[in-house]
Amino acid sequence: MSSIKEQFEIPAKLKTWSYALIGVGLLALIVGFITKGRGTEEEQAVFIGTIMYNTIFWTLVTNASMFFICITTLAMGGWQQSFRRIPEAISTMVPIFGSITVVVLLYVVFSGNHHIYHWLDTNAVASDEILKGKSGFLNVKFFTIWTLLAVGLWSLLGWRMRQLSNEADVAAFNGETGPSFIWRNTVRAAMFTVWFALTVGSTVPWLWLMSLDAHWYSTMYSWYTFASSFVSGMSLIALWVIYMKNKGYLEYTNEEHLHDLGKFMFAFSIFWTYLWFSQYMLIWYSNQPEETLYFKHRVQGVYKGIFFLNLIINFICPLLILMKRSTKRNYTLVTFMAVLIIFGHWIDFYQMVMGSISKEHVTLGWLDFGILSLFVGLMILFVAKALAKKPLIVKYHPFLKESIIHHT
Amino acid sequence: MHLKYESQLREPLVYGTKTYHDVTEDIVRPIEAKPSKLWYIGFYIAVALLLFGIYSIYRDVTYGIGQWNLNKTIGWGWDITNFVWWVGIGHAGTLISAILLLFRQGWRTGVNRAAEAMTIFAVMCAGQFPIWHMGRVWMAFFVLPYANTRGPLWVNFNSPLLWDVFAISTYFTVSLLFWYSGLLPDLATVRDRAKTKLRKHLYGVASFGWTGSTKHWQRHESLSLVLAGLSTPLVLSVHTIVSFDFATSVVPGWHTTIFPPYFVAGAIFSGFAMVQSLMVIIRKVFGMEDYITMGHIEAMNKVIVLTGSIVGVAYLTELFMGWYSQNKYEGYTFWYSRANLFSPYGWSYWGMMACNVLSPQIFWFRKMRRNLFVTFFMSVIVNIGMWFERFVIIVTSLYRDYLPSAWSVYYSPSIWEIGFYLGTFGLFFTCFFLFAKYFPVIAIAEIKYVLKTTGESYKGKMGHLEHVPAEVFAHSGHGHTIVENDGAN
Repeated sequence: MSSIKEQFEIPAKLKTWSYALIGVGLLALIVGFITKGRGTEEEQAVFIGTIMYNTIFWTLVTNASMFFICITTLAMGGWQQSFRRIPEAISTMVPIFGSITVVVLLYVVFSGNHHIYHWLDTNAVASDEILKGKSGFLNVKFFTIWTLLAVGLWSLLGWRMRQLSNEADVAAFNGETGPSFIWRNTVRAAMFTVWFALTVGSTVPWLWLMSLDAHWYSTMYSWYTFASSFVSGMSLIALWVIYMKNKGYLEYTNEEHLHDLGKFMFAFSIFWTYLWFSQYMLIWYSNQPEETLYFKHRVQGVYKGIFFLNLIINFICPLLILMKRSTKRNYTLVTFMAVLIIFGHWIDFYQMVMGSISKEHVTLGWLDFGILSLFVGLMILFVAKALAKKPLIVKYHPFLKESIIHHT
Repeated sequence: MHLKYESQLREPLVYGTKTYHDVTEDIVRPIEAKPSKLWYIGFYIAVALLLFGIYSIYRDVTYGIGQWNLNKTIGWGWDITNFVWWVGIGHAGTLISAILLLFRQGWRTGVNRAAEAMTIFAVMCAGQFPIWHMGRVWMAFFVLPYANTRGPLWVNFNSPLLWDVFAISTYFTVSLLFWYSGLLPDLATVRDRAKTKLRKHLYGVASFGWTGSTKHWQRHESLSLVLAGLSTPLVLSVHTIVSFDFATSVVPGWHTTIFPPYFVAGAIFSGFAMVQSLMVIIRKVFGMEDYITMGHIEAMNKVIVLTGSIVGVAYLTELFMGWYSQNKYEGYTFWYSRANLFSPYGWSYWGMMACNVLSPQIFWFRKMRRNLFVTFFMSVIVNIGMWFERFVIIVTSLYRDYLPSAWSVYYSPSIWEIGFYLGTFGLFFTCFFLFAKYFPVIAIAEIKYVLKTTGESYKGKMGHLEHVPAEVFAHSGHGHTIVENDGAN
């Protein structure tokens, strides 16, 4: 019986790639700063907006990993234990990307960049009854406090969840310590989930994203944002699982587990579409100007192409490709679909943010891909480092054996 | 490799030392015995309510909709409230059968049969309301888009009310097929045990000549999978389209984009509450505590606290947007007509909040989730709350809208409106009592399927596996070395 590879050693190639991506990203950032960051206010808004949607996207996508751990814990899931260290490692990105998000957002509000957040323009607010009415929510003080609290508590509660997981590396549980371990996991998972509902499920997308269109509102908005980031988060987990499998790790994880990750990717792609359709159709159907203004230039203006691309990548492709059982059990196809879904929702975030900041021009170009490269590089490097810190198998987790014999 | 293993930390889903035969005996016994006195009392009450309902409908059809207290501008009152309420309840069965099947929740096997039956009866009750609300009910077939002799007169395909016709009839059909095809092996079991000729014949016809051959089982399994695949989007679509009835309009309080998922969450919430109400009674009356365990009750209470909280987030989101939008009509509806306790219908909003959002939070506590009295009480409270929710949405938005001169007088139902509602309870429970008498209330075949993995006595035999190191466990080949494989798969 060969002993299994429990300890991840970061391959040199992975490091090289991540440094290269970070290098490209930094270069793009510097060139972007020189060419746009010091230009007119509109250009500056595009420059900062580009960083903004990337950092928000990656914060929410990596945070989705912790949400995945917490909901499966609350549901007493067993199947995910064989690879749970993957989402754990991905969730260590939340403090890192979260800090970048905090810096970028606070820079925007404290510099009063009203090309990004119109509600920062004090003159406009003073002469606008609607914005004046909203100022109890849309103000710098509340924005700052809530942003710090959101990111801070995601990081803290996620960290507590990961700390608890370490206990499963030490020694086997017995009839007394086992239930207590599960119980403490449940409590911590519940705390994270409640905070998640109060932030990602409601307030945070209103504050960070929806308020880019200061007048516009949609009750669906936050759930829609959640669906977009969660399906990308599941795809990211699948990508890392496949990578680790290819490197000969995660012996207990096999196509049965991949199949279930594929189901998540499929189901939540459809769920995202469901929310997309519900929001869009209801606004289209009732045709009220204060609501349609959000979609007007996205459907009929320069964003038309992006608008339909979003639907094709995020709905049509998963529907047709991931529907089949054999696709979800195929490492190559799941890799392809995971990359496609993450890219698709990155485009979705692009249009959510830049579609509001730059209504007349589609700015998608080298800067966007450059910044994306920076975030992808950081993600690869730090997730790999986090993976190398702990054993890859939660050896003594009471549900590990259920995961080993898992079959769909 | 198909090992039988489940963590000892999980509660067994079937208690006691049971063989397959014991399972059959336990579940079929109520069908073969004479009904108890309690059954007769319950059944007669249900039939009496049904008769009262029929008389109420007779009043409505003979004298017209004027028998109800609907008025301008409250053209939808109890009637549509009850319709949405029943449709919502009718979500749990198919959710349990289809979505929990996809999520591989083993505990669904204890409750799915009764929940599916309940779903079908609830949808039947729901259907009564739009049908009799037509007034001239003999024209009901006009809702169907059939090739007609009326020239260009077609149904309005742009209307969500028509989408309802399609959504609900499809949902009803698929749910019925799902429920009935699941029943086939169990009906055959009852047939095979029948002592009289008539009984054998009737159950024989009902079970479509099921023989239990491998081929039958294979077809049965593929059919279940196909129907589960079809039902999953249907669970979502039905209440989504019901929510469109409101959300496509421009009525303040109705037009809000979160309605579809929030209605679905609410439907699951109320459906589980209804399943809970029925299950607590069934397990007691039929003595099925070994099959519908505290673990089952607890799992359903978890679903209730989850969906109640999701609904809570949606309520607060709407309320927030009522202010954030700075739209004075939305603001008036949400902050005056609803959230202001001292407005004419403020009581219903706070009733809804108390029943649906606040009180289910006690299910955060394990002790409460496993307390039968609390469970039953809360399941009733939740369904009262969900009734309030629909009443709030419908009536508080309609009674005062854009034009103050058209604001209506206070609306309360007439005796025939109430009678109609009580009548659907009669219909529901009449059907349910008959179901409980003549059909196995628990899916026998499915219990047998999980018995050897999660049955108490079988789990006991797996105890030694807990001490086997994970590596040894994983490399134990096909289970011969360390696992007792009884070959029952």
